Amino acid sequence: MIERLVHWSRVKSPWVLHLNTGACNACDIEILAALMPRFDLERFGIQLKGTPRHADVIICTGPITRQNRDRVVRIYEQVPDPKFVVAVGACAMSGCVYRGAYNTHSGIDQVLPVNAYIPGCPIRPDALIDGVVKLLNSLK
Amino acid sequence: MNPETIVEKIHSDIKDKVQEVALTAPRRIQVKVGREHLNAVLTYLKEQFGYTHLGTISGVDLGENFEVVYHLSDGVATVNVRILTPRSDPKIPSVCSVIPGAILYERELQDMFGLVVENIPDPRPLLLADDWPAGEYPLRKDWVFDRPAEIIPGGA
Amino acid sequence: MEYKVALGPQHPALHEPISIRMTLDGEIIRDADLKLGYNHRGIEKLAESRTYIQNLYLTERICGICSFSHQTCYTQGVEKLMELVPARRGLYIRTLVCELERVHSHLLWLGVAGQEAGFESFFMYTWRDREVVMDILDWISGNRVHYSMNTFGGVRRDIDELQKKKILDSLGLLKSRTEYYLNLAASEPTFLGRLAGVGKLSKETAIALCAVGPTLRASGVPMDVRKDDPYAVYDEVPFEVCTADSCDVLGRAVVRVKELIQSYLIIEFLLKNLPEGPIKVKAPRKVKENEVYSRYEAPRGENVHYIKSNGSDKPERLKVRAPTLANYAATIAMLKNGFIADIPLIFAAIDPCICCAERLVQLDSARNGESRVLTFSQLRAMANQRYKNVNFKKKDIAWPF
Repeated sequence: MIERLVHWSRVKSPWVLHLNTGACNACDIEILAALMPRFDLERFGIQLKGTPRHADVIICTGPITRQNRDRVVRIYEQVPDPKFVVAVGACAMSGCVYRGAYNTHSGIDQVLPVNAYIPGCPIRPDALIDGVVKLLNSLK
Repeated sequence: MNPETIVEKIHSDIKDKVQEVALTAPRRIQVKVGREHLNAVLTYLKEQFGYTHLGTISGVDLGENFEVVYHLSDGVATVNVRILTPRSDPKIPSVCSVIPGAILYERELQDMFGLVVENIPDPRPLLLADDWPAGEYPLRKDWVFDRPAEIIPGGA
Repeated sequence: MEYKVALGPQHPALHEPISIRMTLDGEIIRDADLKLGYNHRGIEKLAESRTYIQNLYLTERICGICSFSHQTCYTQGVEKLMELVPARRGLYIRTLVCELERVHSHLLWLGVAGQEAGFESFFMYTWRDREVVMDILDWISGNRVHYSMNTFGGVRRDIDELQKKKILDSLGLLKSRTEYYLNLAASEPTFLGRLAGVGKLSKETAIALCAVGPTLRASGVPMDVRKDDPYAVYDEVPFEVCTADSCDVLGRAVVRVKELIQSYLIIEFLLKNLPEGPIKVKAPRKVKENEVYSRYEAPRGENVHYIKSNGSDKPERLKVRAPTLANYAATIAMLKNGFIADIPLIFAAIDPCICCAERLVQLDSARNGESRVLTFSQLRAMANQRYKNVNFKKKDIAWPF
């Protein structure tokens, strides 16, 4: 009974942590623009939290740089179970223009297990809403 | 003051320290000096013409030598002061006593090319990761990166 | 007693990964140290193995907010290397997109400053107005960010009469909103009180540390690349360099709002005097041996590209210096003798774009002056141990309701 309540609240109102692993910032500004009055993610119950310990979903941008790799793994371990990782943007999916550089890992799925990919360079805020809704529908 | 007068004054005042000086494009002056006279030339430019704004310090790997270019800007013209340093003895003097804002650019040169900047106030690495192996200088032409194969989750 | 605390790389106040190591004495910061490298992607090395045209798209992705400034700085430099004179109409459209990018970047900054000062509604208002500019850019170029309008010799897409009319109408809306914000910020005493006196940077320190952009102009130094070293069509457009004398975060906000108003005037002038003709000229594929130093006034300051060519179709060396890197030394000077609560505001005031530029905590023991380095797991274990050892009497606490 409590399980069903918790599951319902997790699906209807996921709390999100925004993690930038070394990106050019365009996807991060579009994620913030998705929370602004024009697109308004908060009407779906999605709230942006500052700390990994309160989050359900990690939204990651950027190809992971070498310096950032340990920090990203530590933050992933700090998020309580069950957790989901959404890789946003072409950099997080496969490295975009930085594929093959000496300091990047060419994508988040080289380091963390990813549940959803949202393509684009940078993504459109509408694509972000679509991707998050698809992830939530797959949980039901 | 226009760029031509600056070139003439440099030519007449410090002829012994400067190897070449020329106006190559509108508002761009190139000056070539030996590395031992670098601080003296920058002090002269600062006091005579008021060049205090250092844009950046660029390093170029020319094979046998490294060329280091100091870009100073003003409302009149940009002066590019260049020095050559041999690959076998890559040492350059620090200019932080003349222009304190040069510290970050010199730290970057040390990281990327392996140049040794003498009398630098703060010799820590700037850009590379903490676990970067010592002795690997990415921007040198002979440094090649062996790219590890990427894993595709879910199978190849 | 001094403590060293690390801020970052992941922190709610910072949008990008950077680590600031501060030495604290109570609430006051005595010393600060910036640790870079989280965003280092090796772009200069990548640029040497790609052709000039592929590098157009690589330089664009150095930064997401000022992407057009990096692309334009690179394009200008390569056009000088090729000794190419770009088409007039192309130059006007290029300058138009530069100014639109400046408008969207300053509106973004105003929102972020409001958020760091606690004024969330201001954040929402300015970003809603920013959507007007994003729609215009989407219509002209096809993408909200990373417009890729530049090509060697001009621009890739043209604007027609309907787009011109729409831009002029939106300008009217933006002008009235910006005046509303100016009156709001100037007359709201809590907002002024929060920003005034914070992050002071004197004129001599700013010049000695080679600061650039609004950080420098708010200390009274009128240095602007658009006037000192004009590129594109800035030598034909009338505008003023905006400065302020207060040397603090409030001065930087005032400079940016004044620059917004100047940008609206520049855009109006460009649209009314747009010449007819082709938008680009044909460019050669191989570039002969030469070198160029290209400067550009990005919304954050002076952006510098040094390009050296060697006769083939790939560059020999591309060196990029983003404006935020030049402001780092000035940031450390501003953080000293400030309060911890002011850190997000001071950092936001230089308009950080840490991409175009805590694992260890070191404790100095107050009693015997020895220092040891702890990892976070050890620190966490120590904290849990400390709370286990506290003994408090468990009384029956009656809830008041």
